[in-house]
Amino acid sequence: MYGKRRVLEAYRGGDSPLVAIQQFVEIHGLPDPNQVKRLSQEVALPEAEVRGVLSYYSDLNQSSEARICIGTSCVLAGAKDLFAAASKRTPCRSVYCVGFCDRSPAALRSDDRVVAMNGHPSVEPLLELSVPEPARPAIRSVSNQTIVTRRIGRGDFSDLQAARADGAYETLAKVRRMRPEDVLSAMEQSGERGRGGAAFPTGTKWRRCAEVDSDSKYVIANGDEGDPGSFIDRVLMEDDPHCILEGMAICGHAVGAQEGIVYIRSEYPRAIERMKGAVQAAGAAGLLEDFKPSIVPGMGSYVCGEETAMLNAIEGLRGEVRLRPPYPVVEGLFGKPTVVDNVETLVNVPWILERGSAEYAALGTKASPGTKALCLNHGFANPGILEIEFGRSLRDVIQRDAGGAARGHKLEAVLIGGPMGSVALPSQWDVPICYEAMAQRTLKLGHGGLVAVPEGTNIRALFLHWIEFMAEESCGKCVPCRLGSRRALELAQTARVANSLPQLERLFDVMAQGSLCAFGQQMPGPMSQMLRYFGDRVLE
Amino acid sequence: MTPQTATIDDKTVSIHQGETILQCARRASIDIPTLCYQAELSPEGGCRICLVETDRRGRFQAACHTPLQPGMEIRTSSARIDSLRRDILSLYLSAHPAGAFRPSKDGTEIERLMHRLGLESSGFGHTGEIVPADESHPYLRFYRSLCINCRRCLHACDEIQGQFVYGLAGRGSATHLIFGPSQNFADSPCVSCGACVDHCPTGAITDIDRIGARPPDAVVQSTCGYCGVGCQLDIEVSQSRVDRIRGTPLAQVNHGHLCVKGRYAHSYHHSRDRLTTPLLRTESGWQEIAWPEAISWLSRRLLEIRDRFGPQALGAFSSSRSTNEAAYLLQRLFRTRIGTNNVDCCARVCHSSTALALQTVTGTGAATASYADIPLARMIVLAGANATEAHPVVGARIKQAVLSGSSLIVIDPRRIELAEYAGVHLRPKPGTNVPLFNAIAKILVEKNLIDESYIQSRTEGFAELKQFLNALSLAQIAEITGIDREEIFKAASLLAKNGPALFISGLGLSELTQGTASVMTLCNLGMLTGSIGKPGAGMLPLRGQNNVQGNADMGGMPNQVTGYQSLTDPDVRRRLDELWGTAPPREAGLTISEMLDAATNGKIKALWMQGEDVAQSDPNQTHVLEALKALELLVVQEMFFSETARFAHLVLPAAGVFEQEGTFTNGERRIQLVRPAVPPPGEARADWEVIRDVANAMGAHWTHETPSDVMDEIAQVAPNLFGGISYARLEPDGLQWPCPTANHPGTATVHSNGFLRGKGRLVALDYVPSPEHSQGSYPFLLITGRALEHYNVGTMTRRTPNRTLLPADFLEIHSADAAGNNIQDGQMVEVRSRWGSTQAPARVTDRVSPGTLFLTFHFPETHTNVLTSPYVDPQSKCPEYKLTAVAIAPLVNAAT
Repeated sequence: MYGKRRVLEAYRGGDSPLVAIQQFVEIHGLPDPNQVKRLSQEVALPEAEVRGVLSYYSDLNQSSEARICIGTSCVLAGAKDLFAAASKRTPCRSVYCVGFCDRSPAALRSDDRVVAMNGHPSVEPLLELSVPEPARPAIRSVSNQTIVTRRIGRGDFSDLQAARADGAYETLAKVRRMRPEDVLSAMEQSGERGRGGAAFPTGTKWRRCAEVDSDSKYVIANGDEGDPGSFIDRVLMEDDPHCILEGMAICGHAVGAQEGIVYIRSEYPRAIERMKGAVQAAGAAGLLEDFKPSIVPGMGSYVCGEETAMLNAIEGLRGEVRLRPPYPVVEGLFGKPTVVDNVETLVNVPWILERGSAEYAALGTKASPGTKALCLNHGFANPGILEIEFGRSLRDVIQRDAGGAARGHKLEAVLIGGPMGSVALPSQWDVPICYEAMAQRTLKLGHGGLVAVPEGTNIRALFLHWIEFMAEESCGKCVPCRLGSRRALELAQTARVANSLPQLERLFDVMAQGSLCAFGQQMPGPMSQMLRYFGDRVLE
Repeated sequence: MTPQTATIDDKTVSIHQGETILQCARRASIDIPTLCYQAELSPEGGCRICLVETDRRGRFQAACHTPLQPGMEIRTSSARIDSLRRDILSLYLSAHPAGAFRPSKDGTEIERLMHRLGLESSGFGHTGEIVPADESHPYLRFYRSLCINCRRCLHACDEIQGQFVYGLAGRGSATHLIFGPSQNFADSPCVSCGACVDHCPTGAITDIDRIGARPPDAVVQSTCGYCGVGCQLDIEVSQSRVDRIRGTPLAQVNHGHLCVKGRYAHSYHHSRDRLTTPLLRTESGWQEIAWPEAISWLSRRLLEIRDRFGPQALGAFSSSRSTNEAAYLLQRLFRTRIGTNNVDCCARVCHSSTALALQTVTGTGAATASYADIPLARMIVLAGANATEAHPVVGARIKQAVLSGSSLIVIDPRRIELAEYAGVHLRPKPGTNVPLFNAIAKILVEKNLIDESYIQSRTEGFAELKQFLNALSLAQIAEITGIDREEIFKAASLLAKNGPALFISGLGLSELTQGTASVMTLCNLGMLTGSIGKPGAGMLPLRGQNNVQGNADMGGMPNQVTGYQSLTDPDVRRRLDELWGTAPPREAGLTISEMLDAATNGKIKALWMQGEDVAQSDPNQTHVLEALKALELLVVQEMFFSETARFAHLVLPAAGVFEQEGTFTNGERRIQLVRPAVPPPGEARADWEVIRDVANAMGAHWTHETPSDVMDEIAQVAPNLFGGISYARLEPDGLQWPCPTANHPGTATVHSNGFLRGKGRLVALDYVPSPEHSQGSYPFLLITGRALEHYNVGTMTRRTPNRTLLPADFLEIHSADAAGNNIQDGQMVEVRSRWGSTQAPARVTDRVSPGTLFLTFHFPETHTNVLTSPYVDPQSKCPEYKLTAVAIAPLVNAAT
């Protein structure tokens, strides 16, 4: 793999080879063998890798038509029928989540405008000449301290003036006068844990990177919020981009990195535009000093939210996961020490350093300090973003804050944390939302998306949807995930499925125990739960 | 400190730094099954067959990429693990039709794994269908129905050859192996090294000629007979034929790696046009004769000519393709039985300049470093050598070194493959190496980027050099070489920053009228940067032929005797007198080109040519043919009826490289065994035996029964270099000379304790243009050289399927020149020099600079050497193959 990035070693915030390949495809369509040879020279990748990249990323091998969201929330709101209907009238393709789960179903038009249908699937808005930009989601905080949504809860702070008037970059200026060591210990003492799903202590990650001696290092903001059901990162990137850049620059100061990359999924065009604008404005104002961030867009792959797959994507390779160790903090982007932090994680950083680690650590629980932004989908009575202090009970969130199911329905279950998260039955809701207590009950918070499963939901369709998702989005590197997902899908699709239950359970076991990364290890979790909780409705 | 330990299957093991569970288990003889893992390549981690149970989070971990940590408790086998492994293998099998693989103790690796895990078929059913194999390539077959997408081929290709042929397409369960830019294997950038074949666990990628073949009768290890890298081969033999060749896995030289020539181009051995019996020219044509008759005829003729015209009327060209033993005996025969030093070898027409330069400035006319220095080098300077084509296994290793972080400067007029990997690529106008190297030296000295203590303690001539460099004008040199000053500065500072450096050079330095000066000025850089005599650094010229090093070592040169010993040194003469019964004449003999000249003007009457096709390979061919015609006796030892054989009086059928015993010495001075794998065809015989018999027929009493006896004598004749060499010591990887005593381990780095000549000599040499420069009506400068698929004049490779890979010579021309001369890609072009003319199809490319052309010389149809000039380096007498002034004209009929 090293050899494949021989020329890219010189990459310094310019366009990723993926962008060059995408531009080629937009102009010429998929290349023929002679064009592959030329393109390979141009992007300095082997011919087979160019073909591999083209066939890997949905955005490269499917044209840039309207994208109908078939994320979990939208599927429950009838997105599959919408897609079928839309396909007959306009060129379109399906994607997993455009980040408007609070108003499902949703679609992304080819002019990058989002249509959020809020319970009323319709092809018409896709065909209209123009549509208005959808409103921002409802954002509430039930925490004593509002951290993550402190700006977005009050409006749009993407403008530099507005952000600065609200204190953006002030902490960075202060931190610049601190010794990196002091920043590292403050982060360690705060106890912040990564919000992307793995909940790794942020300060520890930074310190490991800081300890590696290297002529260059990277800070990457993971804006590839792929978990269907979550949209907090989208809203943060759109409305509080400067806070993300400030968090990155603080990290850069602490670990000794001068280059930053915000990797943003292409399903979030507005976030890309806003982040680019923020980088430009902050850079022009000299606020980032020698820290140089840039934006790299994703190309349509769920697994690229996994940090090592993301590194490959930024380098212009297929978004397959890498073996760990070496961990990215030691050998990351282009082989250099790299911190990869989730967007929400980074938004906490300026607050922590402004108010002090003690104040932060006092929030939430001992092992899960601070607050968490939860995303409530369209199936709840009060959808939107909800910031809570860690420790609040799941039942309170579902029944009080979210107001239970929309339209007075009863809830059969809640899906937490996307397809790698958990299925929580009402009997399991009396659990404080925090990593340690949930882990004890084999519940996974993931990125904090909550999707309501109202009474009467077609559980079999949901199950098939997830397993299809796995078979399509698996990166293909390890065998349990690559072939196990396919066999499981085939089994689940067969008519006499009840007989297949032991086989399915065996496949889920091999995937969970044998897969290389969290995707293959954790995807079977909620599916096994579904089999256990709703067996007869899954395998009818 | 107490040693750090862990337990594997209740066995306590000590942990080596950075070791994985699998590595440690193997060290402790605990066998964990694997499928995608290959010890010598980086772990893929995809098959998950090597899962083991740990006491850590995650419980099941892949042993191949999980570091073993202190205190870990590992279980490598249990009902649970075995069942997981079976299920995983079942998943693999489920993607193939039932019966595609069957459990077997001695089948392919996946079949052996099925056997080991007790799996008959997939527990998850079978899908997939049999699709026809891709047989578009002459040597490799890809059979998708057997491909399990384990990526071992991909790792082998990336990490051994560095060709990046393979990739993956699709995502999720659709992920599958692909190659190159299209569906067709033959379109891929594959260079046919075969590494993927050796690493495929299922037979999806195979040698095309092995489909359904029986296991070999025998496997014989020997040394490759192509270039001077000296790869070790495992020759599989069935029914007295060479069936297949693979690299010897643990060989120090090539670590199991080979190239398209060494691995695949061997069918010439069994070609129908092999010579099988001695042929005597008679008035009625060629007559087959028996060996005793041939030997007595030849010995009689040699003695007659000696008696009639004197010993100086005879000469020998010893072969760089034949063994050390043959080369040694031939020079001994001429030096003692005939009494002349007219002995030379084809090193004269390739690296004689390099050898002379190195001998002059260091004291040894050979590489100071070894191939093992390539991965150690932080800085590599590759000058005048297209290693990935002419020395592919070394070329691949240079590429791998750069991919793992070494810096590379390429100095070559052409944009060769390795130039793509270089930090700086300097493209001098052909024949301007000397001013370029001087310019780099000037920058190093003036910016004080030199190793002063090294220069002080180990070299001489610095003051004069400094003064000389001081007077040079960089602007003028930029003008002469055609390279921007800035580029030269860039190269100098990269060299200074990352040095000491390993200087790898080729014939692009040697085969010029300033050949010796080119290498000497390159050695200046080696000494100024303190590189010579250090590990991972030094001078490493790449030798062109399997035994060109050995041939010169054995005394195949007119001015020195075996082991580069002086003809006049009293001690040497005394020793030779004792061992040979007579010492050779004191006066140096003639070089190859001088002997040919002398033949034309009647001074040389008889020549013995061992395996060298001078009629095709030597420069200024018209002149060569005149010389051959003028001879009274031309005896040729050959495998095929060559162009030169047409002029012979006696043609002796020679055994090929796989048909005889002996030794070859590679470009890093490593003497390696050559073992017979198959019998020679008909009456063909090993060269050394024939020479011994002729000598004895001339009255000698040589008693050598085997090549080993000859080597024992060589050790006595040249004890300083070879005193410790004997066949018994050449297992398994040979010995690198100097090896003076029976317990000496051989020498990887020469001059490590100071230069053998005392002080390394820095030289102040100025640029002298070639007579071929500035020939107004011949505006292009032509370089000749090799392509990957063929070897020299193609005698061997043209008789193999390599001909399908490259069917004809080609002329590289820059797109601007092509446009300016109305030449299309593929069109036949007439190339004219002042010495002759030929035709070749154009290859329009930006690999050559405007004004420069490149032409291969592999095919007799082209006779490339009718173009090359009679000019030679005044010191080494090496011809100027790398620079000829030519004019070009498109021919009307475009080639098909």
